[in-house]
Amino acid sequence: MRYYRYIGTRVLWAFVVAFIIVTITFVLLSMSPDPSIQQAATQAALEGGDPQEATDRQEKLRGLDEPLHVRYIDYMTGIATLEWGWSEYRNQPVTKALWGSLYYTAQYSIPWTILTLLFGPLIGVYSAARMYSWKDHVVTGIAFLGFSIPNFFFAIVLLLVFGVWLDWVPVAYRTDVPVVSLENAIQLALPVFVLVTGSIGGILRVARNESAEFQNADFMKTAKAKGVSPLRAYAYHVMRPTLVPLSTTVVGQLLAMFLGASLLVEVVFGIPGLGRTTFDALVAQDTNLVLGSVLLFTVIGVIGNLIEDIVFTIVDPRISYDDR
Amino acid sequence: MPPEKPERFDQVDWTEYANPTGWQRSTNTRYFLYSTVPVLALGLYDWLVVGPREATFVRLGADLGLSGPFQMIGLTHDPAGIDYLFVGTLLLFVWYLLVPLYQNPRMTRYYWTRFKRNRPALGGLGWLFLVFAGGLIGPFVLNTPSQDILTAHQPPAFTSVDEATVPLCVGEVENGRCYGTWEHPLGTDNTGRDVFSSIIHGMTISMQIAFITTSVVAVIGVSVGTVAAVSGGWVDEGLMRVVDIVLSFPTLPFYLLILYSFGASLSMFILVFALFAWGGTARYVRSKALSVSEAEYINESRLSGASTSYIIRRHVIPNTASSIITQLTLLIPVFLLAEAQIAFLGLGDSDVPSWGQLIAAGRTDLAFAPWIVLAPGIALFLTILAFTFVGDALLDALDPEAKTEADR
Repeated sequence: MRYYRYIGTRVLWAFVVAFIIVTITFVLLSMSPDPSIQQAATQAALEGGDPQEATDRQEKLRGLDEPLHVRYIDYMTGIATLEWGWSEYRNQPVTKALWGSLYYTAQYSIPWTILTLLFGPLIGVYSAARMYSWKDHVVTGIAFLGFSIPNFFFAIVLLLVFGVWLDWVPVAYRTDVPVVSLENAIQLALPVFVLVTGSIGGILRVARNESAEFQNADFMKTAKAKGVSPLRAYAYHVMRPTLVPLSTTVVGQLLAMFLGASLLVEVVFGIPGLGRTTFDALVAQDTNLVLGSVLLFTVIGVIGNLIEDIVFTIVDPRISYDDR
Repeated sequence: MPPEKPERFDQVDWTEYANPTGWQRSTNTRYFLYSTVPVLALGLYDWLVVGPREATFVRLGADLGLSGPFQMIGLTHDPAGIDYLFVGTLLLFVWYLLVPLYQNPRMTRYYWTRFKRNRPALGGLGWLFLVFAGGLIGPFVLNTPSQDILTAHQPPAFTSVDEATVPLCVGEVENGRCYGTWEHPLGTDNTGRDVFSSIIHGMTISMQIAFITTSVVAVIGVSVGTVAAVSGGWVDEGLMRVVDIVLSFPTLPFYLLILYSFGASLSMFILVFALFAWGGTARYVRSKALSVSEAEYINESRLSGASTSYIIRRHVIPNTASSIITQLTLLIPVFLLAEAQIAFLGLGDSDVPSWGQLIAAGRTDLAFAPWIVLAPGIALFLTILAFTFVGDALLDALDPEAKTEADR
């Protein structure tokens, strides 16, 4: 019963956090000059009209002449009811534009997440089993290299080598190929590789250091003495306790990568996903779309943190629910 | 102040204990405050007296009647607000990290022997020292790289490119290939700026980001973490909920929103990233401080009438310092990377010659002039790697309880 109450409180708290962040966004936007109003004023001045009149008209159009609290309530209800406005740059509703770009982001995010989750713990435990051998040093080296090399720089270099010099992968991303096809797999190979090397390093390190602790635990000695095969011993007795501390860091790390690096990778490879849409909206000064994508990233961040907390309670039943 | 030959095993400055409830009176704090006075004075002078289009040091030279000597040593700079902040955080670093290390030679030697065991970290420290020295001295020695379209795309020394790709070859031309010269050891970019001196100037930016952001994060994170741990109760609860919110903030997208509405500048970048990055530090410091504040000597201290602020300053912070330093070292790469990413997107401060800016500039010419991207990219990569190595070694060296990589 306590368990469900804890989950309930966490979910409720996630809503509160989202509410506060959205409010801060509103304060920020209402404090700052809206580029579209300046644009209207400049336009009017250039065409020989009255800039002040154009400003007023644009403000009225965007509902900025209302008092602050009315605008705030409008803004919050708009967000809650998923009416995020019209994107002038994409010429479609903001939600539709974001939904469309999510389709492309998912195409590389899903293989990336699966590969990281699959290989990170496996290689980490393998590395711990062969600790201080040359294989372990190679793995540790790759881990350090992976999280130290700036993703966007790595992406550029790989694109130069495999796209321009060797001509193995297309330089420009093509949206007209079917999702499940060889062409799509080839053009997504580099972005997925860059993101996996970036995110796997941290997970490798945690998996290696945590599982090192269980190598010489009493239950491992017992298992070995009983004659359990090494594969079974590692799969059942080392991997499982390692997954507990690992699960708490994985979500956070993937999330941090998703919010930062994937944006850059999309821009470098020209994938029309979420990050690219945000960037284009910024350049095109499309306020609604910029706001929409920031909101979407916020939602993803809050949900990610919530999942992290819940996963932690599921994999580690020893946690007490009272201290929160 | 220099440590004399110790007569005892360890030295205790008893004057510090004479008045335990008074305001901070440690020697280092006093020296720190003294040394900030000239910086603050120069800052005020810059703000109040010097005109917006005047270089501060030129004006200062004229006012002091020292124009000649100033000209001779090349002191014609015009520091911006961020430079004053940078000098301030450098003083903080000197008085609270380097000087205490010098004052406690026994502990310094102990840490150093432990740190030395990690060889990659030694290399990392060497590289960081180079970057630090280059960033500090470089701008005074090397002029800001100037644009010259005729000398664009010059190859680095010891390499050559097809003559057709350079407008005018500075070095020798043999068999239709243009060879690099020592005038441009790392070549030039698409506008003819020297890549090597651009990288040196980029070091200054990287160091400014590293020092200022980390100081801000340290001040906020350490205060919130220790206060939450020592106070407990609803203060703890409230502060940790604030930390939750800070941690949930999508910093990069949010920075893009701020940039969209207010425009880009390096100080804005530092401000935003520092204000949203202290969450992790605060949570970490709190967990460390909680275990410290359970200790007997904290109770003793409380019983002898020490105030909470004195306990935090005197006992909790020094005893958690090692973990704080490690955590902060591992946080710096995040900031450097974020700045490079934003500069690469072309959304950074265009007046600031950072590494990310150079990578972005060279991207279109990548196929025939890869050095423009590779040189700053590798510099950034090495710096991040060095911070990671050093952070890892510090974890082993400073925290005797942590499992060590070197102790096999």
